[in-house]
Amino acid sequence: MHKTPQVNEVNEFIEIASDFEDPLEVIREALSNSYDAKATQVDIKIEQDDEGRNTLIIEDDGHGMDEDNLSSFFDLGNSNKDDAIGYKGHGTKIYYKSDKIQVETVKDGTQIESVMDQPWAKLNNRELPTYSVDRRDVDEPSRTRIEVHGFQAGQGFDPQQLTYNKIEHYIRWKTIGGSTAWHFSNDFHAMEINVELSPTIDDTRQPIETDNRLKFPAENVDPDGEFVAEAMCKHYPPRELTVSLDDGRELTIEIVGMVGGKEARNKLPTYGKHSAQFGIWLAKDHIKVERYNDAIGADNEFFHFFFIANCQELELSANREKIRNKSGDVYQAITDELDRYMTKVCQETWYRDYIERRKLEDKKRSIQSQESSLEERLERTRGADGLSPSNPAEVIALLERYSANGAPESLQIADFQMNDEVNAILDTANGYEHASVQVKLSDFFEEETPLSNIDRFVCWKLGDLDALTRIERTSYLGEPIRFDFQKGEIQYGSEEPELIPVLELDGKVT
Amino acid sequence: MASFEIVAEAGEARRGQLQINDRTLETPHLFPVINFYGGGNEGALFGGGVHRTVKEFLAHDNEVTGGKEYSDLFRGVMTSIASLTDYGIREKKLEWYLGNEIREWECFSDYDGMIFADSGGYKILEQGGGLEGEDFEKEIDQDKALDMQLDLGPDIVVNLDHPIHPDDEFEERLEKMEQTAANAARFAERREEVEGACYLTVHGYYDAMLERSFDLVEAELSEPIPEAFDGIALGSLVPRKDNVEVLVEAVSDCKHVMQQRGYDDLPLHVFGISGKAMPLLVAVGADSFDSASYLHQAINGKYSVSLFDYVPIDEADFDACDCRVCNDDFHRARMRNEMDDLYQKDILGSVAAHNLAIQQRELRQFRQLIAEGDQDQVAGYLEEAAKDQKGFRKFVYQLINERMNPYFEETDTTYA
Repeated sequence: MHKTPQVNEVNEFIEIASDFEDPLEVIREALSNSYDAKATQVDIKIEQDDEGRNTLIIEDDGHGMDEDNLSSFFDLGNSNKDDAIGYKGHGTKIYYKSDKIQVETVKDGTQIESVMDQPWAKLNNRELPTYSVDRRDVDEPSRTRIEVHGFQAGQGFDPQQLTYNKIEHYIRWKTIGGSTAWHFSNDFHAMEINVELSPTIDDTRQPIETDNRLKFPAENVDPDGEFVAEAMCKHYPPRELTVSLDDGRELTIEIVGMVGGKEARNKLPTYGKHSAQFGIWLAKDHIKVERYNDAIGADNEFFHFFFIANCQELELSANREKIRNKSGDVYQAITDELDRYMTKVCQETWYRDYIERRKLEDKKRSIQSQESSLEERLERTRGADGLSPSNPAEVIALLERYSANGAPESLQIADFQMNDEVNAILDTANGYEHASVQVKLSDFFEEETPLSNIDRFVCWKLGDLDALTRIERTSYLGEPIRFDFQKGEIQYGSEEPELIPVLELDGKVT
Repeated sequence: MASFEIVAEAGEARRGQLQINDRTLETPHLFPVINFYGGGNEGALFGGGVHRTVKEFLAHDNEVTGGKEYSDLFRGVMTSIASLTDYGIREKKLEWYLGNEIREWECFSDYDGMIFADSGGYKILEQGGGLEGEDFEKEIDQDKALDMQLDLGPDIVVNLDHPIHPDDEFEERLEKMEQTAANAARFAERREEVEGACYLTVHGYYDAMLERSFDLVEAELSEPIPEAFDGIALGSLVPRKDNVEVLVEAVSDCKHVMQQRGYDDLPLHVFGISGKAMPLLVAVGADSFDSASYLHQAINGKYSVSLFDYVPIDEADFDACDCRVCNDDFHRARMRNEMDDLYQKDILGSVAAHNLAIQQRELRQFRQLIAEGDQDQVAGYLEEAAKDQKGFRKFVYQLINERMNPYFEETDTTYA
């Protein structure tokens, strides 16, 4: 016996409609449908009444719907389009999250009016909603008008989320409105897009009037000026890359893109965190889906690049957010070819020059900041009252000056290791001596460094005399210690105490 | 006695004919390194394990070749006087080896390829300026090196050089270059004793170093370089052999310095390099190479699939290879260790011959491409060869882009 698995249709409708969380996705679906209907003009209005209820009105001059098409519009998973963006028949189910769907469409002289009441309430009541169909003959061109009343999506249809600015960027980035298809075809299907929000949603500017061509910022390949790398921009013209699979199939990847600095990139529309949106995008229907920044290689930073690689062999998840066939050989072949292509971009002379120029300009900036910090230091030095060394190397410079200017004994630095505990070897009248050179003598004792191998201290100042006295009253590393500041010496050890001379330079050097 | 004629060019790559006495060599060419003596006796073809098997291929030993002709793998070979003492031989034996020229030994009497006799500068430098055997140490200077080279009956000889190392301090490098230049001058004084071609070694990784190397030689010589020498050999690259970018820069800069000084009619040999870098170096103007990598790979159990890849011998797919070694059931059986009484040298010898055949095949194809004079084809060949070599291909793409076909030269061709 064979049994057919059953589908709970109500649950499926709820599931699919709920898949679309972002209210903006309704705009994406509307634009895709109008594009598939070969519309040249699509107008989207979002209205809001006093009670905060939203109405979407989508009108286009596409080829309209007959009764079959209308069925597909309302049915689940029953698209009659096979080479179109909305081929899964899922997208329009987003409208089910509403109080009423009203469709008025004209195709080949026949007008159909259709109404579905309370779709979302009925689904949640475990009931499949129905729709009416009224036909009549008319003498007017094809068109479609869809009204969705009381629409809600995700966490509600929050008007604050729907500014013109946000919608415009979204259209350019995530919908057919940001298509790169026009780079690859002479008979590109152009579409004018208008979006109007009710003033209660956004009254800050005029409605959106745009088209479905994603354009790059103007080229600026070799600008004049000192700090120009950020403005540099180069277009990489459309290329069709062909890859053969092991089974003999051929794939075509249509790629177009640009490389540019921050100023150039800021002119691009992006959706989401601007700086994180660049890199290499994989696209289907010339709409960006996912990034594949690995193609750029570890030597390069993704944010210099904005490339869109379209391949119709990519398969997408129902909400178009993800590529579904990543584990297959198609995806592997596409990414391999993209790796090669991007290597060519990265090894191109202009790109290498651009990166060099950026580096150079960064260096120049750092020189400029160095100059100003040097000026500040100079100011401080001029205003300062005498010398004030801040590290042992500077103390050595002062020791040299002290020796050169009539010191009672000759003390020459024979060797100096900045980070060693006993950091200097002094050449004295008595031969070589191990010495510790310190800015402040008290700093040395803070570190609890053994004294066994030290013949002499050289310091700028004795430092914190109280701290030294405190050590004197206890002990240092278990042994008694005496600091005689008058004689300039340290007595250390219990049985035969060692005498370690201390030379304090402060006051002896000008 | 020696001439070099350029018969075709494709960009900076060139195809030439090196004519020395009555022997002709098509360039670009790879001279496989052969150890002619290897511590053995004539009856055992002077011993040396896999080295011996390779020599048996060279000398048409039917038992090893399976009765087939493999002389095209050995049109020109490289040997070094330093290899004479490779197996810790006694002095008497060294004298015996040097008593006859290579082709005077009966076993090598049929060999009709060119013999490039290197001075072995690298090894001699490593051994503190001499050669060591079991019961002797010989100080080697330019005169002694040349005497030994000439004893081998070579077609090409080169001055005793003092190779530099990437870690050398400037002073050390300068000293080595000066010694090399002094040797070159002494070598040039004995020019007429050489019946074949005399190559001059130069060393350096980039233009300034190479200019210094040439300057020092020019200062020592009493005549212009092209009158004293028949070719230039660029050395010291072996320690950098895995850094393709450095190799390309060195060869390209050497070529450039030669052009500036008017020596670019001389052939340029690159010491110690083969494999995947070779096509790139040909593309920037190198004319010949030498390497023992075909043999070392075999000794390490590696079977070349292409210039870029190799697999362990037991994973090799002989059907996928069009070389004559792999298309011969005799060698297949050997490489698969399917014959009785096989020694490791017999198995690995056939693998070494295959590995060499792969390298020679690539150069043969490259020569044909250059002969057509079409730089686009050369670029296409390089691009295809490197297309699955991540990491390496960026150097290939850079070279093609900068020196052959800019990838993105055209202006915007979008449909507006």
